[in-house]
Amino acid sequence: MKISTLLATVAGVMLASSAFAAEDSIRIGVPVGLSGANSVVAPSVVQSAELAVEEINAAGGVLGRQLELVIADDASGAAGAQKAFDSLVFQKEVDVLISMETSAARNAGLPIVSRGQVPYIYTSFYEGRSCNPNLFVDAWVPEQQVPPVVDYLSADGAKKFFLIGSDYAFGRGMLEFARSYVESTGGEIVGEEYLPMDGSDWTAIISKLKASGADALITSTAGGAPNVTLTKQLRGSGVELPYANLAVDEGTAKNMGADAAGILISASYVTGIESTENKAFLEAMKAKFGDDLRTPNDLSVPQYEAVYLYKAAVEKAGSTDTKAVLDVLDEVSYTGPRGRIQMSKQHHAPLTMYLGQVQEDGSVKVVGTFKDVDPGEQCPEL
Amino acid sequence: MLIPANSAPSSELKARPGPFVPAVISIRNREPTAMTLLLDIVTTAAILFIVSAGLLAIFGVLEIVNFAHGAWLTVGAYCAVVTGGLGLNPWLALPLAFVTGAVLGGVTERLIVRPLYARPLDAILATWGLGIVIGQLITLWFGRDVQFTENLLSGTIHVFGANYSLYRIFALAAAAVIGLGFAFLMEGTRLGLSARAIIMNEPLARALGLDTSKIRLVTFMIGTGLTALAGVLLTPLTSVDPTMGVAWLIGSFMLVMVAGSSFGALAIACLVFGGAQVLVSTFISPILGGITVAVLSALVLRISSKGFARV
Repeated sequence: MKISTLLATVAGVMLASSAFAAEDSIRIGVPVGLSGANSVVAPSVVQSAELAVEEINAAGGVLGRQLELVIADDASGAAGAQKAFDSLVFQKEVDVLISMETSAARNAGLPIVSRGQVPYIYTSFYEGRSCNPNLFVDAWVPEQQVPPVVDYLSADGAKKFFLIGSDYAFGRGMLEFARSYVESTGGEIVGEEYLPMDGSDWTAIISKLKASGADALITSTAGGAPNVTLTKQLRGSGVELPYANLAVDEGTAKNMGADAAGILISASYVTGIESTENKAFLEAMKAKFGDDLRTPNDLSVPQYEAVYLYKAAVEKAGSTDTKAVLDVLDEVSYTGPRGRIQMSKQHHAPLTMYLGQVQEDGSVKVVGTFKDVDPGEQCPEL
Repeated sequence: MLIPANSAPSSELKARPGPFVPAVISIRNREPTAMTLLLDIVTTAAILFIVSAGLLAIFGVLEIVNFAHGAWLTVGAYCAVVTGGLGLNPWLALPLAFVTGAVLGGVTERLIVRPLYARPLDAILATWGLGIVIGQLITLWFGRDVQFTENLLSGTIHVFGANYSLYRIFALAAAAVIGLGFAFLMEGTRLGLSARAIIMNEPLARALGLDTSKIRLVTFMIGTGLTALAGVLLTPLTSVDPTMGVAWLIGSFMLVMVAGSSFGALAIACLVFGGAQVLVSTFISPILGGITVAVLSALVLRISSKGFARV
């Protein structure tokens, strides 16, 4: 009798303490590609999430509770994502998932999100039309990124466009949208060519480009190596056409040196945005990470803002209850480095898009700003 | 805004109608001129030759497939990164890479490859593993990011009416130098004579007093040195990152399997397969072009197990 009472008491204390630990902090799960294709950019995403959490905790947390990051490697692919999502949702019992991932990883994780009923804020730009009641997106889709580029090139006199991409869902999706947009605005596509993601020899495609009579080039390769390889070979072959790259980020542009000069990029974030919020953000990042700082970019800044958007939603809902949070996620907004963000359109966000041009020194100069570009009909059912 | 520079000089564009002709008249799906196509073929063959030469040197004499080949290409390319980081002339990366590749190759031969000459399959496994280790060491030291290297040569040159990449023309010359240099080494020097003796009959060569283990060491070092040199020569064409060599490994392996131990056969294989790759990429699809070398090599080996080696 006594022993069982004792056991019951111990069990009760343990339950209470574990319940207390769960109450104590709000856990944010971050499945991200620390290895694999996303490994180059993932550290910058983790850094910006860390800064957001540190800032929020220093200011008293959310509803008096501290935020805690739980990071899991999804290996940039579907198999790794299943493990990462499973462990975060069912073992670590996180309150929310906020992450930048490949489309393959996101698609693999979504059924687990539905089963575990947690809110999921996706912070990577992607090919669009991923719809799930638990999923919100605060980054761009083709409808937001492509038109500024094409409009700018057309205004500059370009009529005949040549498209080059890597042969995968994102590369083809972006260029298919670019093709339809160019044709709808009276332009002409004089060539569209793809190379496998691990392909490194663009010789034949470049010769076709030079023979095509195109007066502008739009590319959408996989990030990192294919991007650099294509640009080096283009420059080596003397191609100096106006050149918009849908898949290059500032960091990669810097690594390409003089070869990248003149390239147009379209993004919802560039470090050169002249706003007090952006300057404060960049200074805070520098102060926190010093020499280890990864340059903030169009994938890491949406991650930072998503943490704040989640904070606003929890505060408005008054709890971390999934349904309550999902109900208000499209009503709250946050003004961050990219400006005012609200995921108000079918779980997606109207965004201000910046058209940048890479300079000789690798920096990106903003040559055009497009206010609150609408994401279009992404998820009419939601 | 950049000026579309290729709207003026190249000959195929001179034939274009004036700038104010409506877009309807523009010819769609125009193909590159025959001259451009020819240059694409010979320069692609040259690059394939440069990349495979080191692998062939090792396979031809030692009958060992060095699956760390891709890693040595990467090591060479990072020698270019280091040269740039030290602020030296980018051309100095060539000798630096040759020496680095040869020294590391010497260490590898003594420690890893030497016990495995009689077990070529185990040697494939060991060198494959070594390649992974080298890739990880490079990642630890330099990070996963794409590295910046200064271009060896930039700009274009007019060749028989075509406005063509100067560097690719240079690659053609480099391939010729490597091929002829190796031919001289094999045919015109004592080392080459000994190496050929080993290829033909190793027990006999040893019985005649040749120090076969030293010749193997030197051959392996030359092979890895050449491969690292090829890595530098690739930097103006590809991104420099820890996995850059992998993309070239399978292609070179296939070419060497077809070529056997002869540099002449390798040159022919590069021309035929590189040519097929360019033609398929140009007229059918670049995606199919990417697998042309592998498919053709498999076909050739199916028909004749010696491949082009009898040439």
